[in-house]
Amino acid sequence: MDTKDLINKYRSGRLLAEEEELLDRYIENGTVSLDELEDLKGIKVNFEALPTPEPSQNLSDAFYANLEATKQKEQKSKALAHWFAQLWAGQPALRWAYSVGLIALGVGLGYLLRPGGEDNRKLENLSAEVSEMKEMMMLTLLDKESPSDRLKAVNLTSELPDASVKVTEALLKTLNNDENVNVRLATLEALYPYASHPQVREGLIKAIAMQESPLVQMALAEMMVALQEKRSVENLEKVLKNKNTPPEVRERIEKSIEVLI
Amino acid sequence: MDSISDNALMLKVRDGDLDKLGLLFERYKKILFGFFYNMSHDAGLSEDLVQNVFMRILKYRAGFKGDGEFKVWMFHIARNVGHDHYRKTKGKETDEIDNWKDKLGDDNMNREVEIEKGEDLDLLRLALKRLDEEKREILTLSKLEGMKYKNIGDILNCSEGAVKVKVFRALQALKQEYMYLQARV
Repeated sequence: MDTKDLINKYRSGRLLAEEEELLDRYIENGTVSLDELEDLKGIKVNFEALPTPEPSQNLSDAFYANLEATKQKEQKSKALAHWFAQLWAGQPALRWAYSVGLIALGVGLGYLLRPGGEDNRKLENLSAEVSEMKEMMMLTLLDKESPSDRLKAVNLTSELPDASVKVTEALLKTLNNDENVNVRLATLEALYPYASHPQVREGLIKAIAMQESPLVQMALAEMMVALQEKRSVENLEKVLKNKNTPPEVRERIEKSIEVLI
Repeated sequence: MDSISDNALMLKVRDGDLDKLGLLFERYKKILFGFFYNMSHDAGLSEDLVQNVFMRILKYRAGFKGDGEFKVWMFHIARNVGHDHYRKTKGKETDEIDNWKDKLGDDNMNREVEIEKGEDLDLLRLALKRLDEEKREILTLSKLEGMKYKNIGDILNCSEGAVKVKVFRALQALKQEYMYLQARV
């Protein structure tokens, strides 16, 4: 639609919604200027002619009074800041005092916030109690019928910071008496870290002759080599003498004996 | 050129030469007063608001970067001052149309032409007052001395074209209100 037609239609008040949008767009991009819309001219002129009174002298008086007050306030705070800065620059002793003060404060706070002796003791007690509980759990689990429970029990020993005699004895008993080969193998592994204890070592040597499972026998022979335990040779030879010992195990044990001797 | 020196003055104010604000005050007190007066038609209130604008300029002078026109920055502050005031007083204003009609009385017949002209202006002021704040504001800004559509766009964060459309719509609304009031007289 021609802009003239659009304007004429607008003047007669018959614009459709989309034509109104078009007129908006024309005004927006400058195709139609507001002056062309004559119906608004009158109101525009009248509106622009609306007289606006002048502000009174009060406005200026109040403004300059406020300005002066602000200036004075800022000068005062500036003077104070300046005085402080001068004091700072002029007296190095003050700076030293400040630094020493800060260090003292830091040390003091550190002292106040140090981990309390009582707290430490509480923590130690707590972890000891947890260890005891784990130990008890392990011993209880070892007596269970299910092999998986017993395996769990054996694995629990790795979480104990230091195994007690009770624990190692229980493990050695399991090594010699448990009917499940896997449990016995796991027990052997669990005992290895404690092999430096003389009783454990003794128990391991004795166990060689008591084992019937070839897997456990072989594992024991290997462990003896790893521990460089010459006292085990006697027991290893007992296994060799046993007619039921399978040839692979025999071979392995012979090799171990060679290394040990 | 005015705006360059406006900015130079404001930068000096920012850097601590507060006396220079006096020059900016002299330049803009009437314009700002006109802005608030056309919005409120209350001279006392308008003076207070102008005062508030300059105190805020002083307070927030460090925020003036000098990359835009001072006038636009000042009107941003002025609008905020105005909004803060209207927010506080919202709901307290009453529609004056009935009071105004009472004021006219029954002796219309005896009025002289000049008085009638005065009444026309009153009617127009009343029509303006009945517009919503946004429309009243755009018309007021467009009426201010030296204020171009581009400046208004910068103040209102919109394009120059959008300002034209807003003025167009506001004028239409003003005319409608005016005609409505005329019909009631």
